[in-house]
Amino acid sequence: MNLKTTYSEQELVALLQERNEKAFGYLYDNYSGAIFGIINSIVTDKDIANDVLQNVFINIWRKIDSYDASKGRLFTWMLNIARNASIDEIRSKGFRQSQKNQSLNDNVDVAGASTEAVIEDVGLKKVLTNLKSEWRVLVDMSYFQGFTHEEISKILDIPLGTVKTRIRSALSQLRTMIQP
Amino acid sequence: MNVQEFISSGIVESYVLGLTSEEERREFESMCNQYPEVFAARNAFEIGLENQAMQNAIAPAADVKNKIFNTIFPSRGGVGGGSSSAKVVSIGEAPVKKINWFKYAAAASVILLAGSLYFNFSLSEENKKLSGDYDNTVAELNSIKKDVQVITDKSEIKMASLKGTPVSPQSYTTVYWDSTSHDVYLLINNLPKPPSDKQYQLWAFLDGKPIDIGFISNDYFIKQNSLLVKAKSVQKVQAFAISLEKIGREDTSVPAGEVYVYGGL
Repeated sequence: MNLKTTYSEQELVALLQERNEKAFGYLYDNYSGAIFGIINSIVTDKDIANDVLQNVFINIWRKIDSYDASKGRLFTWMLNIARNASIDEIRSKGFRQSQKNQSLNDNVDVAGASTEAVIEDVGLKKVLTNLKSEWRVLVDMSYFQGFTHEEISKILDIPLGTVKTRIRSALSQLRTMIQP
Repeated sequence: MNVQEFISSGIVESYVLGLTSEEERREFESMCNQYPEVFAARNAFEIGLENQAMQNAIAPAADVKNKIFNTIFPSRGGVGGGSSSAKVVSIGEAPVKKINWFKYAAAASVILLAGSLYFNFSLSEENKKLSGDYDNTVAELNSIKKDVQVITDKSEIKMASLKGTPVSPQSYTTVYWDSTSHDVYLLINNLPKPPSDKQYQLWAFLDGKPIDIGFISNDYFIKQNSLLVKAKSVQKVQAFAISLEKIGREDTSVPAGEVYVYGGL
């Protein structure tokens, strides 16, 4: 059989919205690794990360009609589904209890933590390590741990306005670090 | 603010990474529609992010794909799947027979009554169970809320991350110290369950000297029903540590066992 093996993003979205199984298989084969990488940077337990990935792809399939190309690329949309699902997972009580024998935050640098990375960070996290430490903590808490600006302000005892400005500055730096 | 300033303010990245508020999101979307530069900046960051993620892809477990496909295409085979084929039943001729319908009706009503009684009974059992579950969940939620309020309601809270020592590199805990009331709360992110003859002791350090601020009950590791553990208050502190100690040792004012986690304020 001679099957078409690549799709443009537009074609892919159109096929997915028509509930085309083959297109979904292609989506999974192409993007599951990248999405799994992101999930792993938030959910450190491999088994749980695999469960999250499973739910993320099921949700992508179920919610594909709500994807709006004018608001961003397909990957960005999937990435945000994956991040939200990962944050929900680490905040669930079940997850905390399952972590009895593993560190919940073993690759998360929070306030007061040493500057040396404990384990090798990959992906976005690696990019983060290039940021000034006071910025990195904020981006880490906000993106990888899902704290709101208000929560960060309270936990770190920094004025809310400062939290916002610092996160913005840090993120604008991030862009120069991952130019296409 | 001109468009260039807007683009370099970090809003593009916040938007793409999903860190904007509802209001900021709407504002950004309207800027995106108005200014092609804003759209271009967003698109460039999105592509960069995607490339970054692709380069750092990690292979998931092999069975995940099958699990996903089995969930969303339960009747594998048909593209799209989902619709189960309707069974065609031919309507046969109704048997014309003289039957004692009254007898059958009476029997049927008895069966129906018994069925309905059983159904009511099991529904009420189910209700009882659900309402019990619900009460437990609410109680659990309230206790978690109370715990969280302790640390989120106050701005004088300082936080210390206690990282695992070589004895237990996986261990990790967080201490919240209220610099006004001097209360100390411990969040156990990860500590191994202690053996039954030992228990963890929490220490505050001031000028290098340890101050005993209490034991962590071993019950915590069995029930796990509280988020935060309250320790003894401490007036001044520079660092915290947790050691694993034999239960019932004589002098509990200095640590004797191995230190599991340690971290400065």
